[in-house]
Amino acid sequence: MAYNVIHEKLKAGKVVVLDGPMNTELVRRGIRWRKHGLLTDTVAVEQLHREYLNAGADVIRTNTFQLNRLTYLNVFRSREHQAHIGAPGLADLVPQLLKTAMRLIRQARIKAMKSDSVAIAGVLSPMQHCFRPDLAPTEEVARREHAFMARIFKEEKADLLIADSMNTIREAKGALAAGRAAGLPVWVSFVLGPEGELLSREPLADAVKAMKRGGADAVLVCNAPPEDMSRTVPRLKAMTHLPCGGCAHIGKFSPPSWKFDFFPQFLETESWPPERYAGEARKWITGGATIVGGDCGTGPAHIAALRVAASAGAAAAGGR
Amino acid sequence: MSYQPIKEKLARRETVILDGAIGTEILRREVTWADHQLMSRPEFVRTIHADYINAGAEVISTNSFQLCRRALFNHFRDETHRRHIGAGDLDTRANTLLAQSVKLAVEAREQTKAKQPVAVAAAVTTLEWCFRPDLAPSDAQARTEYGEIFQVVKDAGADLVLLETVNSIHEAATALEVAKEIGLPFWISFVPTEKGKLFTGETLKDAAAAMEKDGADAILLNCAPPDDISAGMKQLARLTKLPIGTYAHIGRFDPPEWLFSEEYPPSKYTEESARWKKMGATILGGCCGTTPEHIRQLNALR
Repeated sequence: MAYNVIHEKLKAGKVVVLDGPMNTELVRRGIRWRKHGLLTDTVAVEQLHREYLNAGADVIRTNTFQLNRLTYLNVFRSREHQAHIGAPGLADLVPQLLKTAMRLIRQARIKAMKSDSVAIAGVLSPMQHCFRPDLAPTEEVARREHAFMARIFKEEKADLLIADSMNTIREAKGALAAGRAAGLPVWVSFVLGPEGELLSREPLADAVKAMKRGGADAVLVCNAPPEDMSRTVPRLKAMTHLPCGGCAHIGKFSPPSWKFDFFPQFLETESWPPERYAGEARKWITGGATIVGGDCGTGPAHIAALRVAASAGAAAAGGR
Repeated sequence: MSYQPIKEKLARRETVILDGAIGTEILRREVTWADHQLMSRPEFVRTIHADYINAGAEVISTNSFQLCRRALFNHFRDETHRRHIGAGDLDTRANTLLAQSVKLAVEAREQTKAKQPVAVAAAVTTLEWCFRPDLAPSDAQARTEYGEIFQVVKDAGADLVLLETVNSIHEAATALEVAKEIGLPFWISFVPTEKGKLFTGETLKDAAAAMEKDGADAILLNCAPPDDISAGMKQLARLTKLPIGTYAHIGRFDPPEWLFSEEYPPSKYTEESARWKKMGATILGGCCGTTPEHIRQLNALR
């Protein structure tokens, strides 16, 4: 239902604002990072969704980045080992967490009284570490695992899916196919590598082509510094008539001092205060982006500033 | 302080008490261990070491589980990507933290004024994830990386290396060779399966033979539930003349944290340890989930 509103906006050439990250912002707020806070810190999770809604996001994303079955399997030798020394129920934990994430985001939207105007995007993300394209699953495994998640998001009434921070074409294809099979609109967002292509070094143009062919509803770039987005968005726009855009991260990724897949901590984010971030995002809009949001390190204030920039950008383009 | 008093005790076949968990003990005290707390809360880390010393530990291990350069670098595609979006100190951070982990253990020993001599073991783990032998780096690469780690912990004042939760013979052998070159006593601790094999499927017999041949100072088993440890210890005693020992985990791995359970309270853990002692273990301590109280009660086995 709510996706129609977004679809119409995009069709009219208006700029749609995505929210900012859940993970880095929850960690910044002192949440102990375990199970995405979904078992321990539900109030804080719902509160952050509400702050993004209040900041003016048109699309809000579930707190499920890098939350999948393989995350909890990869740290064991095998399924048997997981059952032998792992906490009881670990193999069935992910559906429970996804449902909780959906419940919290729906509650936030209801409380903000934005059920008709804001769409909920279920977040699919790489099965392996988002910055390690060398570990990416085969298209078949990707499709199977993403389908498992897409079905749950569909049952839980997500309005669309976003395959976030994809780092290879093959996993993106698997996620896109899984999302389409679940009957939901799918946006695909690629991690932008330092070379301006996919993190896997596959050409962005090939990725865009594959996404068009697979039936994506939008293509984005993400998880790279703001200036990288500014350079890339006009190229992306030239590659497709699909709605496109991006989310930049700010600051520097500071991984944990022991292995656990994607631990969300970005430092030195002060160098990109909201106004500066929105100023850079204006260049994306000028470059053709109609979907803009925030990635790791940004917060509600960045999204509020983006909202202003997006509205001004739309006015300048004659969209309002 | 040095390794010498421990070595002599082991030569006399006397029991040596190792400390208990530090990573999970941080969690149990309601603190996140995502950054080991080495820089942010040094006093907190020293306190846990001190609690283990006061509980009677004669060997304390540093708070450095899986802490190495590779663990940090693994979060990026490659060096170009790391330099582009990574924190500026990542080239040196692991070694800085490793040195700090040794320093905090040494300081805890100085401040505690224990009755017993206490050696500081630099706790080093496999270079890749401890339960995933399939990810292990090449031996040549491992040699370079262990060389760097062992030099750092030696310079920082560690008395020995405790290479723990090891899943393959070749990684153990490579590390042992490097430790000997650098001149550090070396305890190796393997993680056993339920059947008392390594995670690669290699046998404890082959593992023990390789370690004895290359001059390890002790062979231990860790990071498995008590029953699995028993299966391994039964074999190990017959396989080597080296001092042997063990520290089991109790509770369940609940990634990224630990699920504590009441299944093995200190008294019951001590009973298990008594069985391992009977099997020939002379080094006894605790892995994930154990607490200073577990270690305090182990003193009854001396």
